[in-house]
Amino acid sequence: MSLPKAPTEPRPQRGYFGNITDTVVSTAKGMALTFRYLFRKKVTVNYPEVKPQLDERYRGIHYLEQDLCINCDKCAKACPVDCIEMDATRHGKELEWHKFQLDYQKCMFCELCVYPCPKDCIHMGTEYSMVSEDRNDFVKDLLTWTGLTEEQEVRIKEAEAAKAAKLAAKKKAAEEAAKKEAEEGGES
Amino acid sequence: MIDLLLSTAVALAVVLGFITVTAMFFVWSERKVAGWIQHRVGPNRTGGFAGWAQSIADSVKLLLKEDLILRGADRTLFQLAPAVVMASAFAMFVVLPFGPGLMVADVDLGVFLILAIASVTTIGVIMAGWGSFNKWSVYGAMREAAQVASYEIPLGLSLMPPILYFGTFSLKAATEAQTGSFGMGWYLFSDAFWIAIPSFLLFFVAALAENKRAPFDLPEAESELVAGFHTEYSGIRFSFFFLEEYAAMFVFSAVGAALWLGGWNFPGIHLMEPGSTLLLILATASFVLKAFFLVFVMMWVRWTVPRLRIDQVMTLGYKYLTPLSMAMALIAATWEYIKHVGSLG
Repeated sequence: MSLPKAPTEPRPQRGYFGNITDTVVSTAKGMALTFRYLFRKKVTVNYPEVKPQLDERYRGIHYLEQDLCINCDKCAKACPVDCIEMDATRHGKELEWHKFQLDYQKCMFCELCVYPCPKDCIHMGTEYSMVSEDRNDFVKDLLTWTGLTEEQEVRIKEAEAAKAAKLAAKKKAAEEAAKKEAEEGGES
Repeated sequence: MIDLLLSTAVALAVVLGFITVTAMFFVWSERKVAGWIQHRVGPNRTGGFAGWAQSIADSVKLLLKEDLILRGADRTLFQLAPAVVMASAFAMFVVLPFGPGLMVADVDLGVFLILAIASVTTIGVIMAGWGSFNKWSVYGAMREAAQVASYEIPLGLSLMPPILYFGTFSLKAATEAQTGSFGMGWYLFSDAFWIAIPSFLLFFVAALAENKRAPFDLPEAESELVAGFHTEYSGIRFSFFFLEEYAAMFVFSAVGAALWLGGWNFPGIHLMEPGSTLLLILATASFVLKAFFLVFVMMWVRWTVPRLRIDQVMTLGYKYLTPLSMAMALIAATWEYIKHVGSLG
């Protein structure tokens, strides 16, 4: 297999009329090309009205599936620039969320926070526009809610009730056992 | 006397309005053509539809800008230059035959007058460059002088074939001679088309160079000379140079249209009643459209061909265009002689 030969040979010297023909022909070719280009589809995206088509793997502003997150801090540990801060209080199995902040002044959109997540709940979205006159606007909280939701409260109450019931049952059983023992002891 | 003054004032106002509006239209269309050729959309915001008000916004901005004159500049030359350039562009419109009976003055030497006045622009440009107290401006002005001096000859000579064919220097007479049997007796399609086509190409290239349009825009080559002769101009003085460029483009396109493309003639003109308003409107539209088409070709060339080096400009002017246009003039003269006298003997 041979590669195409590079055009190393100089162009042959053309005479006076050869030059004229060359000029006319090459200009005509160029003009034909640009005339075709006149009617081609435009590549410009009219930006604010039309958003650019972004790749699915585009690394924009993160989004969090908060109901899946377990506050394990693995993404924060993976972050090379330490821009993730999270805080939540645990009530049994439920989490009371306080914050899940990303400082986009530091973030370099490396996506390293996404891979270690055991629940696959942090992702990078396609939103990229972050224009602001205030630096504080670049510290964004990804939480969709803070504190406890009503459902969570219901579940916590249920869990507590179940726990209390369990405890009561245990207590009852212990009491009964003690009673039995006392009775048996009295008999003996 | 009053009548004369009044009609002069009306003619002035009409020509000035025409120049301004066409220049604004050309600026807009130039940007559109540039965009389309590069797969862009061009101006599309100002004024809603296709950015039609872009030129209006530009002109208002130019008029509001501060008018600067450098401390070291030659004030007289600096202030006079835009006026000279603008006046010459203005005066060229006088002899253009827009329609039957619609021209400011039918001068017997119309073509000659346009050529002569076009050279006055060069004086204005040299004044601007020299008075600006800026080396880039002087370079630009010198290039303009060299370029115009070398392209004046091919420009003049390439106009000889149609002048010889029609036997007149008057643009009006030349246009009327092209009516033919059904309005298509254009010089480009006449029996002498084999002279008309090459001479038209020569004229067009020389006109591009004369108007310092790309690829011959060396006097204002922005990659080398900032903006050339008008580097130090701002505000309304700058806009005069801008206006002159587009006005001169229109004038040379109009001369090309009048001498080669039949001027105001269009197919079907013979069916119309002479002197009717409809004829006047259609004829004027036909003339202006032909000139606009040639202006479009000038823009098209600008966004196709890269700028030449100054030595290439000189080579093209002296070694190619001048001898070729001389040959064309000679051939045209011989052809006319044979046609009218019958033999060379």
